Amino acid sequence: MTEVKKKRKIKDFLDHFTWRSSGLVILMLFLLFAFVGITKNWFGLYDSITQISGFNEFFFELSHINIYPLVMIGIPLIGALLQLVYKNTSSLKRDWIVIFMTFLTIPLTMMMYPAAKEGGIDLEFPGFMGLGIGFVVDMLGFTMLLITTIIWFIVMVYAHEYMKKEDNSNRFFLFMAITYSAVLGTIMAADLLTMFLFFEVMTISSYVLVTHNQKDESYEAGYNFIFMGIIGGFSILVAMLLLYFNVGSLKFESALSALYTLGNLKYWIMGLLIFGFGIKAGMAPVHVWLPRAHPVAPTPASALLSGIMIKVGAFGILRVAIAYFFPEQGEVFSHLDPVWLTTKNIGAFIIWIGIATMALGVFLALQQSNIKKMLAYHSISQMGYIMVGIGIALYLGYRGAMGYSGALYHIINHGLFKSLLFMVAGVIYFHTHEYDMYKLGGLWRKLPLTATVCLIACLGIAGIPLFNGFISKSILHHGIVEASHYGHPSFVYAEIIFMIVSAGTVTSFIKLFYYVFLGKMPEKYKTIKAEYTCLDTSMVTLAILIMLIGLNPNYILQTLIVPQLNLTAYDPYFIDHYIVHIHFFTGSDLMTMVYVVGLGAFIFWFGTKFHLFHLHLPNWLKLEYIFFYPANFLMRRACKLMYGDQCPIDTGPLSKLALKKNENTGFLERFVTMTNVFNRRYETNMIKSDVFIYTSFVTGILIYMIVMSLI
Amino acid sequence: MIEQLPILNMLIFLMAALIIPLLNRRVFTLTLVMGFMVLLSVLISSVVLLVHVNTVGEFYYRFGNYLSFIGIEFKIDAFSTLFTTFIVGLTMLIYLYSCGDATDGISEAEYGRYYILLFILMFSIFGIIYTNDLFNAYVFMEILSLTSCSIISIKRKKENYTASFRYVMLNEVGSLSYLFGIALLYMVTGYTNMSLVFESIQEAWVVYPANIMTACGFMIVGVGIKAAIFPFHIWLPDAHSHAPSSSSAILSAIVVKVYLLLMVKVLFRAFGVDIIKALDIPVILMIIAGFGMIMGSFFALAQKDVKRMLGYSSVAQIGYILLGISFMTHIGLSAAFFHIMSHGLMKAALFLSVGAIIYYQRVRKINQFDGMGYKMPLSMIVFGLAALGMIGIPPTIGFISKLNLGLAALDRGMIIFIVIIVISGLLNAMYYLPIMISAFLKGEKVNKIAGIEKIPVVMMIPIVILGLLILVIGIYPDLIYGLIENAVNAIL
Repeated sequence: MTEVKKKRKIKDFLDHFTWRSSGLVILMLFLLFAFVGITKNWFGLYDSITQISGFNEFFFELSHINIYPLVMIGIPLIGALLQLVYKNTSSLKRDWIVIFMTFLTIPLTMMMYPAAKEGGIDLEFPGFMGLGIGFVVDMLGFTMLLITTIIWFIVMVYAHEYMKKEDNSNRFFLFMAITYSAVLGTIMAADLLTMFLFFEVMTISSYVLVTHNQKDESYEAGYNFIFMGIIGGFSILVAMLLLYFNVGSLKFESALSALYTLGNLKYWIMGLLIFGFGIKAGMAPVHVWLPRAHPVAPTPASALLSGIMIKVGAFGILRVAIAYFFPEQGEVFSHLDPVWLTTKNIGAFIIWIGIATMALGVFLALQQSNIKKMLAYHSISQMGYIMVGIGIALYLGYRGAMGYSGALYHIINHGLFKSLLFMVAGVIYFHTHEYDMYKLGGLWRKLPLTATVCLIACLGIAGIPLFNGFISKSILHHGIVEASHYGHPSFVYAEIIFMIVSAGTVTSFIKLFYYVFLGKMPEKYKTIKAEYTCLDTSMVTLAILIMLIGLNPNYILQTLIVPQLNLTAYDPYFIDHYIVHIHFFTGSDLMTMVYVVGLGAFIFWFGTKFHLFHLHLPNWLKLEYIFFYPANFLMRRACKLMYGDQCPIDTGPLSKLALKKNENTGFLERFVTMTNVFNRRYETNMIKSDVFIYTSFVTGILIYMIVMSLI
Repeated sequence: MIEQLPILNMLIFLMAALIIPLLNRRVFTLTLVMGFMVLLSVLISSVVLLVHVNTVGEFYYRFGNYLSFIGIEFKIDAFSTLFTTFIVGLTMLIYLYSCGDATDGISEAEYGRYYILLFILMFSIFGIIYTNDLFNAYVFMEILSLTSCSIISIKRKKENYTASFRYVMLNEVGSLSYLFGIALLYMVTGYTNMSLVFESIQEAWVVYPANIMTACGFMIVGVGIKAAIFPFHIWLPDAHSHAPSSSSAILSAIVVKVYLLLMVKVLFRAFGVDIIKALDIPVILMIIAGFGMIMGSFFALAQKDVKRMLGYSSVAQIGYILLGISFMTHIGLSAAFFHIMSHGLMKAALFLSVGAIIYYQRVRKINQFDGMGYKMPLSMIVFGLAALGMIGIPPTIGFISKLNLGLAALDRGMIIFIVIIVISGLLNAMYYLPIMISAFLKGEKVNKIAGIEKIPVVMMIPIVILGLLILVIGIYPDLIYGLIENAVNAIL
């Protein structure tokens, strides 16, 4: 009797959909535990499974079907088609399809584990796209797939509830599915062409997610997003052409012997690749789109943009660098080998870019009052950490395993806590319609669960022991110490900046939590009523994952990361001694953390006391001003030159160019307006002077040929 | 029998043009059906020829069995059969579309006349591609430019007359330049047959270099005007934007390309690679192509009328094709041929989808496209696909073009052209993307697709087929790449 009562109570408490999707989330967690259990051989689970006769062969066959990558990419697309069927009839059914289709990819990913461990599923389609495309799932891809599928699934559960308040949700979910399929394709790509294909599809389809709200600022952000994305795409295309022409293949395998003879061209290739993928990853000088695009997107989209899609950029850099610029495993036996010279130079470059990115990100994040904007700037800063890790992995060459593990571990961790933080921001907005943290306060009484998960995420991103951020930050810290130890001593400064940035992160999240959840609550929020919905299910799940990783850090390292390291040309001795047997909770690491937290708290106290967080940079320091002021000047002169006194620059649509407030018109708009001036002046003239053009051209061509033949 | 197919193709077109006036009194549908049957039969015979040439080998068709230095000679090889098949296939799609859209600005009495002109146009296009004779090509060129001029002015509006007058004047200048070039070549070689000119030009080159130089300059400029290569593009935007949409598609996707194909024939068949290289023509062509790729897009950027913008975009794309030709390498030429096809498909798709929008929504200005993706979803999706192809986003056909061209540029060691291709692609993005964005993401707050737009099925089928082809060939370019390789081998 009592049980029946309880059930009824829960059913009253949760609506039917929440009930079902929470069940699916629990199933996902169970699957995850089963996966961990089997791989770790808990209670002899793995042994007992393998002893079942016949099962072993069956399982082997099942887990080595090599069309899995295609199925993975296809599932979201099939989901998209099914969504179209239900788009007008039932939004619940549509959402259920979205969630279920996303869920399906998780067990499918897990099925690929045995094959990935043995070297990877390989699937090729020669002749497609001219040069042939292919898919591979190795351990690096598998790790990315696992984290992507899990986070995407949880965000989809969240999105169901959140999108109820938004318009055009059909379009949103349709493009979400296409983006998902593109992200999976990018991760599973076996060569640069395939990666580029899916990367471009991702750029285009995620554009629709960014501009979903159809407000003016979303168009502006979207403009930045799409054009920087396309510029990045073209830069990858150029790198791809150079690589194909000089190496003869785009497959992700060592091209070092061919690249070695290329001189400076190899740095150009890598530079273009870093630039192209770096734009998506929010790398320092080209991050400008990110703090605009992430806040304006609907929360589920911004959680995924920050949680997954910028990681795809970092993953791209890691993939191409490790694939093309590393020797084959077993070819090199010392860090003194001259083949490491190229990677060393590239690595040093990436480390400093990463340091600049993280410092810039944190510095700008401290000045923000909009929660989502602050989180976006922190995404930039945390991508800096990942870039530093990738840089170390390359810079130290044979001994760079620490940087590699740090980067990958931080990709996983940042995906978890940043999507959680964005979800929290979304929940706050859901209840209060306010993003400005200074206007909020005391919300923990009304939203206790949200406050708890937010605290967990903050502790995670700040790098407090027992939470996941601490683990990856410690590894990265080890890496950067090794870089200054084995490499150039100037990386000591990098370490110092690293510490300061970590302290700044602590400050920032003290600030966030303090202003949003503590302090005095404004009157108008007294009526908020918290209900248990899908939003909470998904947030709690992520919080659980964050804590589990924090408490048991060695699992990911040993099961997912070390197998990759063993397949890369890293020093096996180094891996065995420093990574497999790494201890996280040692005295020195913990002491470092205490210093960082102390410094962070001090900055927070200092900043609030002297109102430093409200400081804004003077106008002349802004990038737009530096760039547009001379551009305006030149344009004015050019206009005077073309029109004389009747220069229309102060009238009509051209007056936009003359605006003193430069940030209102973007670079592209200026360019288009400028071509308008040029066009209006010369197009008709050109058409009228047809005979002149003909004559001068014929004469020119003849004179040229005569001159050339005389020479 | 197969040897007679080329001339039969052309005769069928002429016959069709002659029969249409006779059907004047009957139901107009009869004319349309007859025209479709004509195109279908020519398509079938072209495919038969294509297969025959690619399996058995090329052959010559000599009129009246005169020797080739007196008579007219057609060369039926992998090159000419590939492009005639492509052109007649594309024309068939555009023709189908025009059956639903012919009323676009043309008065009812003119319908028949439009199709007469179309078939004479096809007749001359086939002639230019088949012929192996410089002077014969001139004759067909004249027919082609006069018919396209009449097609442009068929709408009977003031701006159409201006546009077609400008077109015909400039094209006459071009034709005369070309004729002058032929005369100079005839003077030193004694032939107008391309193969014979090629055989004797080596000796003439030693004795009369000035003649050959002048001839080359005039012929390139003459054909260049007709192909709307960059500084001579001035007639194109007006002409293409004022013509009815289906004929804009034919002019932009086919007619302009025919002149480029003629240029390939003149350069490689008549002059030969050695003399062209000795005259430094490749460098001149490269410079023109580079400027065209940038400036065409630059002009397109500032346009407010969508069809005019597409016209300028063609100027840029012709630059791409010319770039491929100017490399004078196997890979460069195959990239150029591929782009002729891919641009043909993409531009046809763009013009046809825009035509449907102009016809049913009565908007031409780019800033009126807000929310168009929900009013005309199918047309806008195909427009978007083709526009993405123009920018060079995979997996569309335009990406493969860019890839091939980039590899060809690297093959010649010209990294600068990769930069130009990238800049041009960015400029393309700058004028194509805003249209797509405003069509799909601007306008009303809550957008609902009520269903596929109600345009006639005959208009919908070509648009859908073009959209599919853009994707399918983009994903699997080997479908046509083998044929292109054979065509290049026939030229080089």
